[in-house]
Amino acid sequence: MTRLIPTLAALAGAAGWSAIALARGEPISAAWIVLAAVGTYILAYRVYGRFLASEVLALDDRRATPSERLANGRDFVPTTKWVLFGHHFAAIAGAGPLVGPVLAAQFGWLPGTIWLVFGVVLGGAVQDFVILFGSMRRDGKSLGQMAKEEIGPVTGLLAMVAILAIMVILLAVLALVVVNALKDSPWGVFTILCTIPIAVLMGFWMKVWRPGDTVTASIAGVVLLLLALVGGQRVAASPTLAPLFTFDGLTIAYGIIAYGFIASVLPVWMLLCPRDYLSTFMKVGTIVLLAVGIMIVLPPLRMPAVTQFIDGTGPIFAGKVFPFCFITIACGAISGFHALVASGTTPKMVRREGDALLIGYGGMLMESFVAVMAMCAAAALEPGLYFAINSPAALLGPNATTAAAKIATWGFTITPASLEALAAEVGETSLLSRTGGAPSLAVGMAQIFAGAFGRGLMSLWYHFAIMFEALFILTTVDTGTRVGRFMFQELAGHVWKPFGRTSWYPAVIVSTGAVVAGWGWFLIQGVLDPLGGINSLWPLFGISNQLLAAVALCVGTTLIIKAGKARHAWTTLLPLVWLLVVTLTASAQKVFDADPRIGFLAHADQVAAQITAGTMVAATGARLIFNDRLDAALALIFVAVTLAVVAASAWEWFRVLSGRTAAQLHEAPYTESALA
Amino acid sequence: MSAAGAKIAALATIIRRICGMPDYAAYCAHLQQAHPEQPLPTRRAHFDAYLRSRYADGPTRCC
Repeated sequence: MTRLIPTLAALAGAAGWSAIALARGEPISAAWIVLAAVGTYILAYRVYGRFLASEVLALDDRRATPSERLANGRDFVPTTKWVLFGHHFAAIAGAGPLVGPVLAAQFGWLPGTIWLVFGVVLGGAVQDFVILFGSMRRDGKSLGQMAKEEIGPVTGLLAMVAILAIMVILLAVLALVVVNALKDSPWGVFTILCTIPIAVLMGFWMKVWRPGDTVTASIAGVVLLLLALVGGQRVAASPTLAPLFTFDGLTIAYGIIAYGFIASVLPVWMLLCPRDYLSTFMKVGTIVLLAVGIMIVLPPLRMPAVTQFIDGTGPIFAGKVFPFCFITIACGAISGFHALVASGTTPKMVRREGDALLIGYGGMLMESFVAVMAMCAAAALEPGLYFAINSPAALLGPNATTAAAKIATWGFTITPASLEALAAEVGETSLLSRTGGAPSLAVGMAQIFAGAFGRGLMSLWYHFAIMFEALFILTTVDTGTRVGRFMFQELAGHVWKPFGRTSWYPAVIVSTGAVVAGWGWFLIQGVLDPLGGINSLWPLFGISNQLLAAVALCVGTTLIIKAGKARHAWTTLLPLVWLLVVTLTASAQKVFDADPRIGFLAHADQVAAQITAGTMVAATGARLIFNDRLDAALALIFVAVTLAVVAASAWEWFRVLSGRTAAQLHEAPYTESALA
Repeated sequence: MSAAGAKIAALATIIRRICGMPDYAAYCAHLQQAHPEQPLPTRRAHFDAYLRSRYADGPTRCC
């Protein structure tokens, strides 16, 4: 049995990859991708994962975990490994693994799929596992605290600045995805607006009427949400109601900014906590539904394996497949943000050390699988349709005819009539230039769901998918704003003590305002951007997320070296070096490239020339130039912070390895477990 | 409790754990075993304390 599973997995993976390698030219079934991915995951888990667990980290089931030693019945609770796997997966999976692969599908499905599968096995799952392990050995300390203790106080502070900056960009770009999905869509807006009163109702249920009865409240919330979804169809069809819920992008953006502010200063039980539950229920349910749907339908992938856009001329975002494929897909392959979650609630619940392999390494493999399914859903669309939905209006022109003509020049065929017919089928007036990935994923999911669970409900499935994505993105917006506020207060507390008091209302309002203004600025910039916003913001998000992963891998390498396992340090150094190569190249290109679609500074120069030539209004141009320079400065700050952390870590490694300092780990002392 | 009722309760516990929801029964069981001298909190007080600790700092969910 111990030999049989890896052997079968190796055979399945080999069969999948061979089919992918041989079937050039004609569409291949998603079945081969799924087979290749799952085979590789199982093999990697059994061989590499176990190597990490036994040789590199030396998990010890006789050593009591924090959940056993510090058991308090609240956050330190020993939890069965499969349940904790579910908990951890629900915490790490979100919009990221769904949106990134959809955007990267402009290169064809092959580059993204290879990066997802091999990136996770050698990078993302290793990072999550090592950080979970480190935190578990330190009573659940956070990434920032570990950086401070194991590398140095300055590194800890830098890591915190990096986390706050990534938060701002993350919230802006995710909010932009929601804006693009909801603009001019009365059905979507109505459903999402309904989530607010539903959440408040759940909040009163859990806090006032039936204290602590979260499960019933959440189930009732999901039922109400589905009713709101059906109701949205009536609203969209009504000539009197539809205009009341139809808004342009800018209005929706300001609405989300106001919502983010209010939701994060209100007591958490009223809005934030119930929305958290609602979106977790929807997330787990929908991801299971998507997996089942793909397994039933096994759609052919109509997108070419590799498109001509690997040369950097892609309409969705500019830049060559290297490095941009590897920063567009962060979540699903490797995501620095996971290091924050893996050093959060999960390490306090691990029952036995050995369980960390399944939870840390295995949980991330599962997220990668979700990302592969998102890639399949996007690649199953007609390529012409995919580009019609995801390309900005500046390229496609105002209507289906201009769009079809433009897409034909790229070598993909789609008729204006079929574009309009599909929009009508999903209950929208237009699907053109709904950039950001979510709408095209929703169309892909709707086609899969309709194929698996009955035709004729396309519009309902489409809006179900939109509602589910928007719901958990907005939940990220309110929880993220709140977390950002705490970080801002802590950092500002270093400058002026009273500001750090989290219960002092003026400080709460000012710091929440500062965080909301931060991401709100980038959100508005994205909405007004003539190139569609995703082109500039998604790469920035990818860069910041991958740089945070580099920080996490620095911490991981330090832990391994200090544990006297320097000969195994390549396990974290390998992904670290790769990430540095990718992100430094991408940052340099985003700032300095001569192509104005790629380089921020070149774009600023282009706008300046347009102002001089009189083809652009001076005020608009000045704003664009300011934003370009801001984006460039931000990319450079990310790079500077990361290089500082890498330098500090390398210095620490040198000191330990050369014997200049004792290898002093800050682990909690060993205690014998009663469970083993 | 009937057999079906016990199954539903067990399922609810798993759901709570996966979603990061408070578990009053588990907390009371822990208190009675580890600190039998302490009085049990009300459901309301338990929920309030849970909210304070869960959303106090640090991200609980990823992008």
